Amino acid sequence: MEVWLMSSSQAEVCKTELGCRDLRSCFGKTNDKNKLFSRKPDKVSFDTQFSRLRKAGLRFTVKAVHSEPILEAKFSTSSKSLDKLRLFVGLPLDTVSDDNTVNHARAIGAGLKALKLLGVEGVELPVWWGVVENEMGKYDWLGYLAVAEMVQKAGLKLHVSLCFHASVQQRIPLPKWVMKIGESQSSIFFTDRSGQHYRECLSLAVDDLSVLDGKTPLQVYRDFCESFKSTFSPFIGSTITAISMGLGPDGELRYPSHHKPAKSGTITGVGEFQCYDTNMLNHLKQHAEANGNPLWGLDGPHDSPTYDQAPNNFFNDHGGSWESPYGDFFLSWYSSELVSHGNRLLSIASSIFGGSEVVVYGKVPLIHSWNKTRAHPSELTAGFYNTASRNGYEAVAEMFARNSCKIILPGMDLSDEHQPHDSLSSPESLLAQIRTTCNEHGVEVAGQNLASGGLEQIKKNMLGENPVNLFTYHRMGAHFFSPEHFPSFTEFVRSLNQPELHADDFPSEEGEATGSVQTSSDPNIHLQTA
Amino acid sequence: MAAVTVGSLLQNPTLLLRPKSKTLLKPSRSLDSSRNRKVLHSRSSCFCSFKPSRSSHVVRANSSETALVDNFDTSSSDDVLYKETFPVKRIEKVEGNIFIRLDQSKNQQDWQLTVGCSLPGKWILHWGVSYLGDSGSEWDQPPKNMRPPGSVPIRDYAIDTPLEKRSKGEMFHEVKIDFNPNSEIAAIHFVLKDVETGAWYQHRGRDFKVPLVDYLKDDGNTVGAKREFGVWSGALQQFSNALHKAEASPPDSPNNESKDSKSNNRPLEGFYVEQSIVKEVSVDNFVSVAVRKSPETAKLVLYLETDIPGDVVVHWGICRDDAKRWEIPAAPYPPETTLFKNKALRTLLQTKATGNRSGALFTLDEEVFGFLFVLKLDDNTWLNFKEDDFYVPLYGKSSVLGQHGQSDSTSEEISSKSYTDGIINEIRNLVTGLSTEKIQKTQTKEAQESILQEIEQLAAEAYSIFRSSIVTYPEEDVSETDTDTIQPAVKISTGTGTGFEILLQGFNWESHKSGRWYLELKERASEISSLGFTVIWLPPPTESVSPEGYMPKDLYNLNSRYGTIDELMELVKSLHEVGLKVLGDVVLNHRCAHSKNQNGIWNIFGGRLNWDDRAVVGDDPHFQGRGNKSSGDNFHAAPNIDHSQEFVRKDLKEWLGWLRQEIGYDGWRLDFVRGFWGGYVKDYLDASEPYFAVGEYWDSLSYTYGEMDHNQDAHRQRIIDWINATNGTAGAFDVTTKGILHSALERCEYWRLSDQKGKPPGVVGWWPSRAVTFIENHDTGSTQGHWKFPGGKEMQGYAYILTHPGTPAVFYDHIFSHYRSEMAALISIRNRNQIHCRSKIKIVKAERDVYAAIIDEKVTMKIGPGHYEPPSGPQRCSVALEGKDYKVWEAS
Repeated sequence: MEVWLMSSSQAEVCKTELGCRDLRSCFGKTNDKNKLFSRKPDKVSFDTQFSRLRKAGLRFTVKAVHSEPILEAKFSTSSKSLDKLRLFVGLPLDTVSDDNTVNHARAIGAGLKALKLLGVEGVELPVWWGVVENEMGKYDWLGYLAVAEMVQKAGLKLHVSLCFHASVQQRIPLPKWVMKIGESQSSIFFTDRSGQHYRECLSLAVDDLSVLDGKTPLQVYRDFCESFKSTFSPFIGSTITAISMGLGPDGELRYPSHHKPAKSGTITGVGEFQCYDTNMLNHLKQHAEANGNPLWGLDGPHDSPTYDQAPNNFFNDHGGSWESPYGDFFLSWYSSELVSHGNRLLSIASSIFGGSEVVVYGKVPLIHSWNKTRAHPSELTAGFYNTASRNGYEAVAEMFARNSCKIILPGMDLSDEHQPHDSLSSPESLLAQIRTTCNEHGVEVAGQNLASGGLEQIKKNMLGENPVNLFTYHRMGAHFFSPEHFPSFTEFVRSLNQPELHADDFPSEEGEATGSVQTSSDPNIHLQTA
Repeated sequence: MAAVTVGSLLQNPTLLLRPKSKTLLKPSRSLDSSRNRKVLHSRSSCFCSFKPSRSSHVVRANSSETALVDNFDTSSSDDVLYKETFPVKRIEKVEGNIFIRLDQSKNQQDWQLTVGCSLPGKWILHWGVSYLGDSGSEWDQPPKNMRPPGSVPIRDYAIDTPLEKRSKGEMFHEVKIDFNPNSEIAAIHFVLKDVETGAWYQHRGRDFKVPLVDYLKDDGNTVGAKREFGVWSGALQQFSNALHKAEASPPDSPNNESKDSKSNNRPLEGFYVEQSIVKEVSVDNFVSVAVRKSPETAKLVLYLETDIPGDVVVHWGICRDDAKRWEIPAAPYPPETTLFKNKALRTLLQTKATGNRSGALFTLDEEVFGFLFVLKLDDNTWLNFKEDDFYVPLYGKSSVLGQHGQSDSTSEEISSKSYTDGIINEIRNLVTGLSTEKIQKTQTKEAQESILQEIEQLAAEAYSIFRSSIVTYPEEDVSETDTDTIQPAVKISTGTGTGFEILLQGFNWESHKSGRWYLELKERASEISSLGFTVIWLPPPTESVSPEGYMPKDLYNLNSRYGTIDELMELVKSLHEVGLKVLGDVVLNHRCAHSKNQNGIWNIFGGRLNWDDRAVVGDDPHFQGRGNKSSGDNFHAAPNIDHSQEFVRKDLKEWLGWLRQEIGYDGWRLDFVRGFWGGYVKDYLDASEPYFAVGEYWDSLSYTYGEMDHNQDAHRQRIIDWINATNGTAGAFDVTTKGILHSALERCEYWRLSDQKGKPPGVVGWWPSRAVTFIENHDTGSTQGHWKFPGGKEMQGYAYILTHPGTPAVFYDHIFSHYRSEMAALISIRNRNQIHCRSKIKIVKAERDVYAAIIDEKVTMKIGPGHYEPPSGPQRCSVALEGKDYKVWEAS
């Protein structure tokens, strides 16, 4: 589920050239299907009342609600900017599977309706390269079109994630023809020091190499995006309001330095550098030679630990070679390769989708383990040259700003207190750092969760001083709708919307009824009182 | 407006939004639901003032649009800034008749009741009978020979029979029921159901009742004269007197219940009556709006036109921003405009020369942001657009040209899409409007509840489907990987026991009669145990309105017709002593009330759980519950409990805990679980942690042209869905298997016993560890005999379920019959070979006259008259048991 919070000041989200007075009318117009009805992004507020109703044993008395206004008033002053709330839900990863059929369509249909009623703005749909492009240059969008139609029918918005990676968990591989090429030409994949290949996405070093039957991966990605755009043009700008561009493993801008994504509650090792495929090593060599240190370009850091190890040697907090001139040389190169890769992909995306009325996103990971050390080793292996003394996200944010793209940042459900003590991890402070950096560069940040739950923490992130614009809650499925989870989610949505209710909106004694009539926007009431 | 809005909010979401799913979908639009009542009271003027139908008003959007532009602006359509056609739906009431005729058939022996309906549509007669000596308002299933062809039994209390046209030209749909007046039947009860709308048609809020005994003499005299069509004015009054129990003691009704029971020997007399019914039909109309800029003045001219017949008043205003707050614009106004309480303007639309349309021109300032309106029809009905005001955006229109209304299909989309928007807006409005008015509160509450339930049920549905795609398959994998292990580890999981259970249903429909069943059973405890059973299911223990126990009243009073609470505790103790686990039969779906509410409806409970009508579901036509809509099907004979109420669940959990603790029950047999969402069952089971639990989810199998379909996947899927909803915490009776066995054995169609994938065709084929297989129980067999297993073939049935995976349940009547020794042999084969609920089965033959399967590669069985011998492989088999049309071998 993604929850989009948008304040009216952030009008750049919409196309201001439409001459809209404010965001509401703007949304009304971005979707001409909807133009008769002003979009009310704050509509979720009803839920507030609902749950309270139920708690009161369904007896809706004045008393039951009357005790609330103080609390509400407190909220409404603290975060006024939240009067626009947009809510998105991630659809199941396997919504469309490799034979291009829509899985659990009935469940999704029911789910969409439930979400719509709950006041959710839209859903996120992962679109897999491996599902669509089964033969090079031949795209089968049928399944996804069906989903887009369902979403449109349900009156929801769609955020499409273009996934140029594979999912082991969902058994969705890269396109078969790509895998076949990879069999003979394993250098198209990221490779670690021990020569293991990571086959869930292509190495960034082949971006510009004609490794895919004469085409470069960038060309293939571009063709894919073009095909998507032309196929989905009836939806783009109306139903489809955002597209996120897959940038690497799990769609994130990073190296696959951890073969498994960091999970909350487990101590992750520092990960490994992924610069050992022949193309990466070539790049490194050239770079070293250009820098006058050809010896530095022969290999990656010799003393970096393995995946599951705690920081040592290269990453020693004091005297580790990460702080040496060699370390700086290597890490600068390693991280800039990643940023240029991101730049290449996002410029493709923004050149294709920039003209249409969709927002382009890219996902940046929250590599929070070991970030209480000085070296931040996990971030370094993942490609972010972010240490105690250097803000590695400057370059990233700057790159996003250059492409007028926005950032999706996962892990907003994580809190420091739930991290194992030994992991020296602080998701909260890293999150704060990235968001501040993005703010400085004018790049908007949208949120996502890593695990299910953590709703309290998400709420904190959404209602804090620097609220995020959008939150992706992952993900619809059995657990999402289970009795263990769904009620708390409903509660969560409700609580997110509390701030927008003003004291005026609350019942008063009958004597004051006339006063509130004026604040009500509903003419029905006028009629009925009349 | 209010009535239309609220009415649709309460009803339409259920009908339109909820996808079709047997477990969840329940058309609940009852004419007499308490909800509607409230609405009727508060807004009676609107509902009552609908006019009878005036044929149909068809939307012809294309032509009307052209017409509109023509009318509106002949110069050029280029300067039309905005044009939109809003579809509007009005509810019109169509009147028709129901007739009821009772007459003697030609042979003078039998009588015939005919019920017909003159309105077009699909009608179903939902009916049952009451027998002489019955007390209370329960219905019973009529005897089989009374049921017309095409009838479908609805559990044990009613029959659904479709009304049919006798011939093409016939105006009436009708159904005929033949019966013998000398039978024990005291009355026939029915309600009429409109399949298309889901509405129930009743008489004065009650069932129609045709008494067959103690018929009034004076009524009979006039029958001959009434055998014609046409409204017979006097009949209605008499008819209602005759057909109905005195409701609020009408003084002119000599017929009451006490009389019923005293004398029942009067001869039956025929009659014919008609009663008018009103069906709500939605009629499509349109309202089109076009805006252009006036060339002369810098003003906008808005033209509004509609095809709604009669006087139409536009109740309108403008807004200055997106908040859509109504304001009154400056003059000039169109002719026939009045100011309405300083809040809006009212303009009467002028009828066009063409006759069937009316319209008006509005001149507005350019700065106006939007134009808001609702329509008031000449019968005081308010019409709005998808639960919201009609809204015409005007801001920026002078600069943005060409936003024309789209083609027909597009406007369709708008409506379906904006429908939910509308609801949400409505809720918002209702929420924010809370403070304004008291009545508003009631509506808000109901609207919110309805939406909330909608969300909850949609979520529940989504959950169960997502779950089923996850849970169903692993089981198959498990059973396949388990084959290597000789004996799977005995693992006791909550609600599903060890997997080696063999159940005995420890009572039949007559067991209450002795008054000392617990004592009798106690004497048989060790015998039952020695037969090889491990679990026994005892009858429902609570105080009950019906002697069999399925109409519980005070849940904490365990003195029943089966014995006292002390005798029960003694019994449980002795059963435990011989190693049997004990299942309590708990009825959670419904509960009988102790007293009446202010309307004389029995829905106030007593005893330790003294719930009020909030504990009763709000959508049962019979009991004016104030709870939420039922999360399942309704059981019509008693108030259905609203499990969505937290206090209800809390009390029930406590009760189950008490039964576990005090009585010593080890688990549950859950009655009528179709009546409420399986998620609640999970809740109860999580709280009471039973050793074993099994739910009764009984609905009809699918038939085509009277023949049972080979593929009963939909049927078993519904049961699986329920198990899924309980999170697999309970098993369910494998009704599918019983049904298929019926056909296979009865008609010699043993091929039915293998599904397309070569697995058993019942629940046991898909989720064996949760399937409780049975061939008979107190409802299907015993003295009720609602769905009796083919006579004489019971042993084939047991040869099947006692050798197959799943947990077999044996019916009391069968084990204590002449089958006893054969069944004991089967049970010991099962135990000896350690066949369990997850045992692996391989179907080796499923042909016309023989079915054979090998279980766990140890036991081979065949049923049917045809020939089968196990292959003579390295593993030698020897015959373990042989009987009529069945044979079982063991690997030696």
